[in-house]
Amino acid sequence: MSDQHDRTVRRRTFVIGAGGAALAAILAACGGETAPTATPAASSNATKPAATTGAAASAPAAVAATAPPTAAPAAPQAAPTTAPTTAAAAPTVAAAKVPTGTLKVALPNRVVSLDPTGPAALEGLVYGRQIFDTLVVRDASGQFKPSLATKWDNPDPNTWVFTLRSDVKFHDGTALTSADVKGTLDRVARLKGPVAPLWASLDTIETPDATTVRMKFKTPLGTALANASLLPIVPAASMDKDGYFNKPAGSGPFKVVSYKADAGLTLEANAQYWGGAPAIQTLQFVDIPEVVARMTALDTGEIDMTWGIPPDQLPTVKKNSNLKIDSIPTYTYYFIWMNAKRAPFTDKRVRQAMAYAVDVDAMVKDLIGSIGKRGTAPIASTVFGYTAQTPYTYDVAKAKQLLKDAGYAGQELNLIWTQSGGPQIREISQALISYWAAAGIKVKSGESERAQWLDDLLKLNWDLDLQTNVTSSGDADYTLRRLYTTAANRTGYGNPDLDKILNDAAESVDQKKRADLYAQANKIIWDDAVGMFPFELLENYAYNKKVSGFVPTPDSVPIFTSVTVGK
Amino acid sequence: MGAYILRRLLYAIFVLWGALTVVFVVVRVVPGDPAQLIAGSQATAQDVQALRVRLGLDQPLPVQYIRYLGQVARLDLGESLRLNQSAIGAVGERVGATAILALTAIVIGMLLSFPLGIVAALRRGSAVDSMVSVLSLLGQSVPNFWLGLMFILIFARQLRWLPSAGIGGINHLVLPACTLALPLVGILTRLIRTGMLDVLNEEYIRTAQAKGLAHRTVLVRHALRNMLIPVVTVIGLQTGQLLGGAVIVETVFGWPGVGRLLVTAISNRDYPIIQAGVLCITASFILINLLVDISYSYLDPRIRYA
Repeated sequence: MSDQHDRTVRRRTFVIGAGGAALAAILAACGGETAPTATPAASSNATKPAATTGAAASAPAAVAATAPPTAAPAAPQAAPTTAPTTAAAAPTVAAAKVPTGTLKVALPNRVVSLDPTGPAALEGLVYGRQIFDTLVVRDASGQFKPSLATKWDNPDPNTWVFTLRSDVKFHDGTALTSADVKGTLDRVARLKGPVAPLWASLDTIETPDATTVRMKFKTPLGTALANASLLPIVPAASMDKDGYFNKPAGSGPFKVVSYKADAGLTLEANAQYWGGAPAIQTLQFVDIPEVVARMTALDTGEIDMTWGIPPDQLPTVKKNSNLKIDSIPTYTYYFIWMNAKRAPFTDKRVRQAMAYAVDVDAMVKDLIGSIGKRGTAPIASTVFGYTAQTPYTYDVAKAKQLLKDAGYAGQELNLIWTQSGGPQIREISQALISYWAAAGIKVKSGESERAQWLDDLLKLNWDLDLQTNVTSSGDADYTLRRLYTTAANRTGYGNPDLDKILNDAAESVDQKKRADLYAQANKIIWDDAVGMFPFELLENYAYNKKVSGFVPTPDSVPIFTSVTVGK
Repeated sequence: MGAYILRRLLYAIFVLWGALTVVFVVVRVVPGDPAQLIAGSQATAQDVQALRVRLGLDQPLPVQYIRYLGQVARLDLGESLRLNQSAIGAVGERVGATAILALTAIVIGMLLSFPLGIVAALRRGSAVDSMVSVLSLLGQSVPNFWLGLMFILIFARQLRWLPSAGIGGINHLVLPACTLALPLVGILTRLIRTGMLDVLNEEYIRTAQAKGLAHRTVLVRHALRNMLIPVVTVIGLQTGQLLGGAVIVETVFGWPGVGRLLVTAISNRDYPIIQAGVLCITASFILINLLVDISYSYLDPRIRYA
């Protein structure tokens, strides 16, 4: 058939027209080669937008425990055996009803592991919070409230004594006792995971009876309560069993039904919860890493709630009349460090010039929008120990003058950052670099992969570093002492006065005195321009209007006990 | 044939060992320290060192390597550094999801490319041919994360026909499998079209036509079968690639497969998972190549293995 068929076909081709024929000829020529590798033209586009794919989803990992509206006795003396009916909290009301309905939540970060004190502890706070309990919780105003512990005391500055409720049972029916608290802390020390440093000064733990835990510290620990609010208690008897954390039995308001890594986690109401059963029967965490897919799922009703939404997606959410947004301040803030060990940042004036050169308000307006506001201290305004500082107002002339006085020679500086460093980080880095350029400071953008970036960061192998940080425990110590003492050696900056203030604050159990000390620390860090702190971030919780009773908290670790889901 | 397969399997062990060694060295040579990543940026140097000791990462590389080979020989690929799970368990749990996705993509790819390629070849130079050529070129060139996102926007958000992400029923499989299949359709269609054109010009086709065989018989028995070898080879290579390369599609569609596991493991420097994942993909590659080679002798009886 070939020849004759070919000829008729060719004739037809001519009829189609010269243009079409030419194109067909070219394509036929391409198609004639067997090598399936050639991907002309379009392939070069492949790499660019790829960067945005995973990026947007990586809003700062949520963190820190607390502030759930669990009904707890207001006075520590309240009898631990009676159900907490006194407090004016929502879940008690809901507890009277049988749990109904399903809430589907897509977290901005994935469900990595159900071990709340293991290597991925800080990424798992949200679901850990539903499955386990902590000794104390922090309410929205920053006050510590009883949870597993009904009361606590400092007989001396180095000792903390917690008295536990006696009516708490793990989901497998075994009672939660002081031995579990000790077991949990022993495990934390053994695993050396991300929460271990919080308990580094712990010396011994005594458990004189089932409801008493006596912790002795090597030095006084002012942050014991904040740290305890980040410590989910796991059952000592089963925590080391193989596979226990694939389906852990905690003591929290929700029980684990099933967990499939990278796919999702399904929880159900713990009807026997000591704080009152949750209102919903099923709580599902679905894993949708790609932000467009996640927003689509919210839009179509496949999921009921999500957060960690990049600013460019927010207008779409607002347009949908079935959705609602709760926007609240968090413990997360953006900062830029300037390596004080390296010229030109050895001179304080250059560091200050960097801050004066940037129009933070314009960046908030154009880039950050609904996900943040101007930062006013080295920690977010929601954190214990915060005090507002005098802003560095945008003043290029002043910046240039300071640079001239300091004798900045115009050398190029390297700004390191990584894609998962925070929302809009690429845009922020570009804006910063152009502001600095306008003031005559040459900065080169040094983006790298996370592990590489962390390596450089810790080795102080940078001039400038851009990232977000979360004060997970909600206490200034978690951020300030860890990052700004000479011993910590994280910024190249060292100041014996600041060291003393921060250490005194950590080792004092007088919270008033601690607040005063952090006020001094904030001022030193801000005025010496150890870093710039342009923004503190808001979290936007977007959810379907059929969801009600949701209470967002600044720690970005919401609890779902009071949530109800309508039809 | 039996001896041939046995010999190939023996070679396979060497290939696996080679792949394992390369990965073992590469993940440890690139910057980034798993202990540091686990301990977090607030940990002190002592904490990180203690963790390194606990994970056995403080040992010299050759010691770690020998120790690891010993483990592998006992079919133990180690414990994940972060997941509270053995590396074999973590990979095993996800390999099914990736295999389903890859196989569905292959099936879709074949179902579309055979008719398209054959029609284009038979109507060479026609409008249909041009259209098929344009489409197959597009299929090959469009980056698949973009295609995936477009599919989500069109079929999930606008039309609301299909779910946007996750694993579940068949409807969850449609978008990721089609996204993955499209480049394959592009490659296969062009390959089949070219193959058919070559074969159709052969003398034996003219003979077959001359002896009065039905058009259909000539096409299927004489033409198609003879151009299958390169097609099968490419399908084999692509299947291997799909198993390892579904990474992007798995991420876009939240599909819990090996690709995503590997990506996360790499960014966390979870060595045992990276090693187990690569081992699994290498093994599938080897197996598929073996199947392809064996299939040659069925497609072309002249090919014999001894």
